[in-house]
Amino acid sequence: ATMPGVNQHGERMRKFKNKGKDTAALRRQRVEVTIELRKAKKDEQILKRRSISFSLMDESLSPGEDKRHETAQLSLEKIAEAVNGSNTELQLQATQATRRMLSRQKDPPINQIIELGIIPRLVEFLTRADNALLQFEAAWALTNIASGTSDHTKAVVEAGAIPAFISLLSSPHMHISEQSVWALGNIAGDGPLYRDALINCSVIPPLLALVSPVTPVGFLRNITWTLSNLCRNKNPYPPLNAMKKMLPVLICLMKHEDKDIISDSCWAVSYLTDGSNDRIQIVVDTGILPRLVELMASPELIIMTPALRAVGNVVTGTDEQTQAAIDAGVLAVLPSLLRHAKPSIQKEAAWMLSNIAAGPAQQIQQLITCGLLPPLVELLDKGDFKAQKEAVWAVANFTTGGTEEQVVELVQSGVLKPLLNLLLAKDSKTVLIILDTISNLFLTAEKLGETERLCLLVEELDGLEKIEALQTHDNNMVYRAALNIIEKYFSGE
Amino acid sequence: LLFFQRVLLLVASDVDALCACKILQALFQCDHVQYTLVPVSGWQELETAFLEHKDQFKYFVLINCGANVDLLEILQPEEDTYFFVCDSHRPINVVNVYNDTQIKLLVKQDDDLDVPAYDDIFRDEEDEEEDSENESDGSEPSEKRRRFEEDVIERTMKRRQRREWEARRREILFDYEQYEYHGTSSAMVMFDLAWIMSKDLNDMLWWAIVGLTDQWVQDKITQMKYVTDIGILQRHVSRHNHRNEDEENSLSIDCMRIAFEYDLRLALYQHWSLYESLCNTSYTSASLKLWSVQGQKRLREFLADMGLPLKQVKQKFNSMDISLKENLREMIEESANKFGMKDLRVQTFSIHFGFKNKFSASDIVYATASLMENTEKEGPETTNFIKALDSLSRGNLDKLHQGLDLAKKQLCAIQQTVASCICTNLVISQGPFLYCALMEGTPDVKLFSKPVSLCLLSKYLLKSFVCSTKNKRCKLLPLIMAAPMDVEQGTVIMVGIPPETESSDKKNFFGRAFEKAADSTNSRTLHNHFDMSIIELKTEDRSKFLDALISLLS
Repeated sequence: ATMPGVNQHGERMRKFKNKGKDTAALRRQRVEVTIELRKAKKDEQILKRRSISFSLMDESLSPGEDKRHETAQLSLEKIAEAVNGSNTELQLQATQATRRMLSRQKDPPINQIIELGIIPRLVEFLTRADNALLQFEAAWALTNIASGTSDHTKAVVEAGAIPAFISLLSSPHMHISEQSVWALGNIAGDGPLYRDALINCSVIPPLLALVSPVTPVGFLRNITWTLSNLCRNKNPYPPLNAMKKMLPVLICLMKHEDKDIISDSCWAVSYLTDGSNDRIQIVVDTGILPRLVELMASPELIIMTPALRAVGNVVTGTDEQTQAAIDAGVLAVLPSLLRHAKPSIQKEAAWMLSNIAAGPAQQIQQLITCGLLPPLVELLDKGDFKAQKEAVWAVANFTTGGTEEQVVELVQSGVLKPLLNLLLAKDSKTVLIILDTISNLFLTAEKLGETERLCLLVEELDGLEKIEALQTHDNNMVYRAALNIIEKYFSGE
Repeated sequence: LLFFQRVLLLVASDVDALCACKILQALFQCDHVQYTLVPVSGWQELETAFLEHKDQFKYFVLINCGANVDLLEILQPEEDTYFFVCDSHRPINVVNVYNDTQIKLLVKQDDDLDVPAYDDIFRDEEDEEEDSENESDGSEPSEKRRRFEEDVIERTMKRRQRREWEARRREILFDYEQYEYHGTSSAMVMFDLAWIMSKDLNDMLWWAIVGLTDQWVQDKITQMKYVTDIGILQRHVSRHNHRNEDEENSLSIDCMRIAFEYDLRLALYQHWSLYESLCNTSYTSASLKLWSVQGQKRLREFLADMGLPLKQVKQKFNSMDISLKENLREMIEESANKFGMKDLRVQTFSIHFGFKNKFSASDIVYATASLMENTEKEGPETTNFIKALDSLSRGNLDKLHQGLDLAKKQLCAIQQTVASCICTNLVISQGPFLYCALMEGTPDVKLFSKPVSLCLLSKYLLKSFVCSTKNKRCKLLPLIMAAPMDVEQGTVIMVGIPPETESSDKKNFFGRAFEKAADSTNSRTLHNHFDMSIIELKTEDRSKFLDALISLLS
């Protein structure tokens, strides 16, 4: 029964680079875990999401509003009949009625419309360059069908919508081209398969061509969101050359003043940095890190969150990549983020700190110099529990990679008290890491001949009784680690 | 209403308020509640009194003031301050109605308030913000997004709905606030409270009667309402007074007895001479048109018809021959009917105490009101108030008699002013309303700078004018009356009263009209009185203010 625990511990131990394991593996693993959590949370949010407001609306639609109420009353059979018929006026009315049903707030009848079999016909309407109204209504209706489940999106794609929408990106009517951007965004957001299908159909060049200094803000928001979906998802990651094409434009968008555009372009970059080190390198090479670090300090949560995520991903990379983030000033921003009111920000910042602390002694030194120890101790003491766990990791990594002097400084900053307090945590993984950290501290103390002082300190801070109590812990690993410390350092007299 | 904290009592200057105050004071005494009484004659004094006392007091009782404005808005009280409002002014401000924490309204349960429904006038602000700001949580963008029914159109629809709602709200509030009127007398409401707590005493009942009678004398309520409330009080009167009915002779000096009566609608006649009362009662004076020679002749004919010698009629009522007095009421009524005065008989109550003290409820109203607005200055403003309040206690007969004397003077002054206004054609039709302005230098003009006296004068004048004019249209018009208020400051006091018709609902639209006219002309006005239909303004601004009123009401 104790075997899985042993394996777990073995896995965790592998992640300490000073134990001779690969640093990148340590960093990767932690990213993987967090991403999974994010995804689970995100899925439930999709249901609640509402459309972001759109400023772009063609005037041609505003008149005749009353008439549209009538058309909405058309029955599904009548719609099918009209859409399949040859009367263009009736086609428009039916398409409009379909679109209206699909855009009502409550229970859009997506399945019924698919079952009606009119999707191929709607896709065909996209190509009616002579009838802009019909094109627009069809594009909107298809957008909303593609916004549903994977099956819904599939119905649209399999009717041949991808090339039709891509060619509409170059429509002379801006509202049609914007609607196509939206539809393509929904298709790209379905997953890596359709994302790459779009990329293979050369969606990127005409999409990027829409970004210009005169593009209206609402339109730009749409484009940015669609681009972010083209950067999104792994297994596989988006093709490298697609990424290289989009990055310059994304970096441009990140300098926009609209917060939604900044936010979505940051999310796009956070997806691109959420990969192997060579992908991180491509982003670092663009020189965007200083801007990202600047955005990490934004008062807007919707900007701060993805910027923090993106830079956090960068410091999971090589020591050089981490150094680039440090050089961009990330350490100056971190203290306030560690003290942020929102637990999720605290946690994310602490995660970043733990990855920097996993670096070489010189980076640990910068961390000390930039005053990160006090906020770390505070977080350990009073932070949100998830953030505390990340802070424990930071301390653990610090004691593994830091020099003797650096470890002494860590202890002097008061880290021991909150760390020992966390031995009471219910989470045995965290308790194990703390015990490992204490062992590390004793190793350093032994080298400095200060073992007795450390023993006294631990005793004074009521650490000894806590460690003793852990000898009866259910978890075998915990109990053994605790026993080990007691036997080695506290059984003298 | 059990307080263990000291309470501040803010009481308006009208007889009904005084009566309610007397009842509440008796209740407080009963429960050993500590209180401080501050008379307030208008909004300014109310605000000042509140500001002065808000640090020492948490509980405020407002009598006949405060219901018809947004109290929280004008007083800006702390959150732990509470207002108990007993006020007959209608309509009640909707915020006061729907505030269920700081404002407690004392209202009779069966009073029909017609308050608009909450949802029609209040809207939760959250509804508005619904779709604008739910993006700021910093979570990842959604992978797919549906485009909803055109945002632009939807928002326009929302805005249109909102506009429609607001227009409807304005309409509802306009309808609700358009007319000013009065609900159940505060003294009666307070008596009800005492009765519910089983602490009602005969004295309290008498004050309730005087409060109701005040509303009737001041013409604040409809005949219907008056008769209904009289009926309610009559049941209390018989409950409290049946014990003594058979043993009238055994009345000791401490005892008091209240009796329901069909009495003559002749002001103060039991403390005056019949002749003087006939001359100075609005109803008889207007009906007989006493301001004219023919009127005087008619009065003599009327007296002759009753067979009363002029000598008897002109001497003090108390000294009249007992034999004449026996069937007096019936005789007068009979003759009055012949002279077109069919409503000379009224339902009222009288009080007996001591050996010879008998007063009718209206006697007390006239006396107390005159004491309150006594212009023969002695000491600070509050002296009048306290004196008036004291005169309501049985033990203060001297004050009551002083009040009766003042009341006679007041009624004479009113009658003379009415006569001179009519004889010199001072009442002029302005189109939508009649207008009469008293000049500086008119006899007794000082008396009419006071709101209650001016209102009384206006009502008597309108009644007389309606009897005197042959113009049918003019008979249906409301009246605005102006009198000099403060010569040094150059201000006039102006009051608007509803038309004098038999079916009058006593609802007054001048409050809103004054407000609008003042706004549109930038007139320097002051809405200081608890009755919104009384306004103070700069004399120079009067004509433009009136012009605005005319065009507003035409």
